[in-house]
Amino acid sequence: MRLFENLNIDFMSKRSLFYLVSSVIITLGALSIIFRGLEFGIDFKGGSEIGIEFTNSIEISQVRNEVEKIGLGNVEVKTFGGSTGVLLRTELQEIPQNILPNVKSKIENIISNTIPGVQKQITDSTNNSITYTFQDDETTDKIYERLNQTGFQTIRLNDNENKNTLVVRLGISDWIKETLSEKFADNPFTVLKEEKVGPKIGSELKRDAVLAVFLSLVVILIYLGFRFKFIFAVGAVAALFHDVLITLGIFSVLYGMIPGFNLEITTSVVAAFLTLVGYSINDTVVVFDRVREYLKIHKTLPLEETMNRAINRTMSRTIITGLTTLLTVFVLMVFGGEVLKGFAFALFIGILTGTYSSIFVASAFVLEVATRTNKKVQF
Amino acid sequence: MKEIRFRLIIILGAIALSLYLLYPTFQDFQNNKEVGKKLESLSDSIKKSNPVISSIELKEFIQNKKDSILTSNPNYKSARDKRVKLGLDLQGGMYLVMEVNTAKLLERLAKDPDEQFKQLLKEAERETKLSEENVVTILARKMQAKKIRLSRYFGSIREDDADIQNRLLEQESDAVTRAIEIISNRVNQYGVSEPSIQKQGSRRIIVELPGISREEEAKRLLQGRALLEFKLLKDPEFAIPIMNRIDEVLAAKDSSSKTTPVDSTKQLTEEEFAKQHPFFSLARLIDPKGSMADVFVKKSDRETVNNLLNRPEVLKVLPDNVEFIYEAKPEIAEGVEYYRMYMVNKQAELTGGVIVDAQSNIDPTTSAPIVTMQMNAEGSREWARITGSNIGKRCAIVMDGQAYSAPTIQNKISGGNSQISGIPNLDEAKLLEIVLKAGALPAPIDIIEERTVGPSLGQDSISQGFNSMWLGYLIVAIFMIVYYKKAGTMADLGVIVTILLILGILAGFQGTLTLPGIAGIVLTMGMAVDANVLIYERIREELSTGKTVKAAVESGFKHSFSAIFDSNITTFFTGVILYQFGSGPIQGFALTLMIGIAASLFSALVLVRVMFDFMIHKGYKIQVG
Repeated sequence: MRLFENLNIDFMSKRSLFYLVSSVIITLGALSIIFRGLEFGIDFKGGSEIGIEFTNSIEISQVRNEVEKIGLGNVEVKTFGGSTGVLLRTELQEIPQNILPNVKSKIENIISNTIPGVQKQITDSTNNSITYTFQDDETTDKIYERLNQTGFQTIRLNDNENKNTLVVRLGISDWIKETLSEKFADNPFTVLKEEKVGPKIGSELKRDAVLAVFLSLVVILIYLGFRFKFIFAVGAVAALFHDVLITLGIFSVLYGMIPGFNLEITTSVVAAFLTLVGYSINDTVVVFDRVREYLKIHKTLPLEETMNRAINRTMSRTIITGLTTLLTVFVLMVFGGEVLKGFAFALFIGILTGTYSSIFVASAFVLEVATRTNKKVQF
Repeated sequence: MKEIRFRLIIILGAIALSLYLLYPTFQDFQNNKEVGKKLESLSDSIKKSNPVISSIELKEFIQNKKDSILTSNPNYKSARDKRVKLGLDLQGGMYLVMEVNTAKLLERLAKDPDEQFKQLLKEAERETKLSEENVVTILARKMQAKKIRLSRYFGSIREDDADIQNRLLEQESDAVTRAIEIISNRVNQYGVSEPSIQKQGSRRIIVELPGISREEEAKRLLQGRALLEFKLLKDPEFAIPIMNRIDEVLAAKDSSSKTTPVDSTKQLTEEEFAKQHPFFSLARLIDPKGSMADVFVKKSDRETVNNLLNRPEVLKVLPDNVEFIYEAKPEIAEGVEYYRMYMVNKQAELTGGVIVDAQSNIDPTTSAPIVTMQMNAEGSREWARITGSNIGKRCAIVMDGQAYSAPTIQNKISGGNSQISGIPNLDEAKLLEIVLKAGALPAPIDIIEERTVGPSLGQDSISQGFNSMWLGYLIVAIFMIVYYKKAGTMADLGVIVTILLILGILAGFQGTLTLPGIAGIVLTMGMAVDANVLIYERIREELSTGKTVKAAVESGFKHSFSAIFDSNITTFFTGVILYQFGSGPIQGFALTLMIGIAASLFSALVLVRVMFDFMIHKGYKIQVG
């Protein structure tokens, strides 16, 4: 089977059209980033997050209604995976002081409901945990079991002297879990994951992410500068910049638009950005490599003509590789589960724009600079 | 043909090596299934015998049992140690980033901190939460603004601010190193399998605890202060008779045959000895003549010995005020790890709160390694009394229940400046210094990031990852066969070898497979065919100019090489950068991406090339679509 054989399209003469297309998309994306912003994941924002899975499917709005009432302020509630999964997130790190007494009295209630009139002693109480000591083994056992069931993460000390001591955690996720297990008693859930990220981590991660993307662009610039001509390296990096901007823009535009798709910027999305930088440069290098070869053979041919030839001859490779990679990324997006969805989506968009930019942007940029400065490119 | 043979050997060697490296993973998988099945019946029988047992406890019990079987049985363990490690996102567990609370450290290091200092420190602490600057730097700046010299609170007057600032930063990093030592000890003692504890930057610690999912449990493990104690060893004249008693009661319990006391052992076979002396066969006396009561226990026997010592009949003969403790670090003899075990007073003579400083050194007169330590006034008085009345006895330095050394008290030590000698080497002395200082470690450690992945999510992720993998392969493979026919089939074979090599290298280098790592493999499959596509397209072009098949293949490979090389090396660079900046799961992705690039280049440039050459040599027809 052969596609694009003997292709002969004059891409370079239409370059102003591509400039227009690219700049429109980039402008729209940039406007969206400015006005709508980007949705950052918990890695970058900090806060607490808990992912749970109910036994039967559940209405998100019901969960949202219940969670709104518990005094944690704004709690985001989203689907996680299928219709049984729920992701809850708040920017709080710990339970606010004003509702701490409610939480503590709830625990007291649970204990006295489990064993009415039980002898207990609070041996330690902090903002994050409360420690009870009970009289005997059996009581401790029962209460330990009950507290864990109702959602309060509890541990039992395992040294012999304190084995009747329970440490009950007072965390955001405990309070949420307790509420949900009470309100949805007929639909029990298991906790899939819990995350708590301090505010400092987020700002460091943002800096690191931006730094990593820039560093990779610089490294590519230097390497290609050595292997090709500097102007080619600049063209390639311009194309990469273009890809990253468009993908970011699309993340901003589409955030919240596609149901079941959490398009937020997480560390894995940043990893996808770096990967797309690495992938997209492949395409560009392949075209440039051909340009380099033709420039050595046909020294008199105008640059525009050489580039057209190079692009046309490598077109089938560009499309086929793009296609196989897109297919695997598509598989990841559909079957890779919740964790990989955003990652795969970023790559999906990135591969599309990367393929486009290596054909239409990178070479056009080099040609544009070369004609404007009236320079002859030679190897 | 000769040339092909040589490359063929390399290829087969690489494949064989990968399979060899992956075999333990396969074995571990089988073991896991086997043990899981065995434990199912155990879980059923527990439920029957104890119907009130809570499901949480049962689950935990079974999981612990499974872990301990898989790690203690040497057959299982060797496979487990060499298998491809799974990241926390796949096996479930807890990931924590902790940071030394520098503000608290400074507060404790400062001499006579006054209100002004406390105020400035508080402000600096608040600022550091929002900025990326260190508390030390901010505090120094604030003090400079107020024209206060750092030497007012730290160091001596002669030092200038920059020096003091550097030293404070050093002390901060030191505190992290000590904290890591303590945490690793505890985590190992607690029996977390395959934990990972790493230092990040100057004051962060990243801890990964597979299988732990409760925050309070982790906190107790990581944040509680270390307990340092000095405990007197029991004299051999006291300890050995008790050990004999233990041996006797155990032997009496195990078999009804008459037992003989330990000193009358003449020429017994090992088996008989083990039968008659269940205790001494596992815990061998260092000196059979009885000048020392130290015993050696093989690492693999520790569990058994602990169980023996916890038997009711043993507890009956063991006096209430003594206990057995192990050394923290094993000694190795003939390739086997042995732990020294001591019998000590249960009641500690002194605890580590009294230690102010410790320093490892070489004794100038004997040139043997020593550790000097300094105690506060109260500790010095106590220490003088204890050492004075116990000259010639041995005193164990115990941290978190493990002994670090048990030197002999030479003379009465007054003034709180005491010296520990009898340390085998300087490394050991350094360790002791860390332990002694750690007991006095003043800086609390804050948890600043915490991620818990439940085991069910991990299981889901594994199956989703592997589903994507074979599905992705299927799609790419079919596409390549349709488009390139026979040559496509060769490329598909190449992709299989690529995946095999990736996994083999991961196993060989003890890399960690994470969910993004699996995604990296899936992505590699899509990108791996790129090199093949480049080559095939080029061959087609060359064929269309009228070259012979042989010449076309030759120049196809030759001309596409520069493009393949340049494009892959740039992707590799981004992989390196990603590995540097990412953490945990993302590093796993970067790792598979980088290995994937190397492996796919090998497949395309060496393996597929050999297939082509072989077919040309045999005169088979070559189809490139």
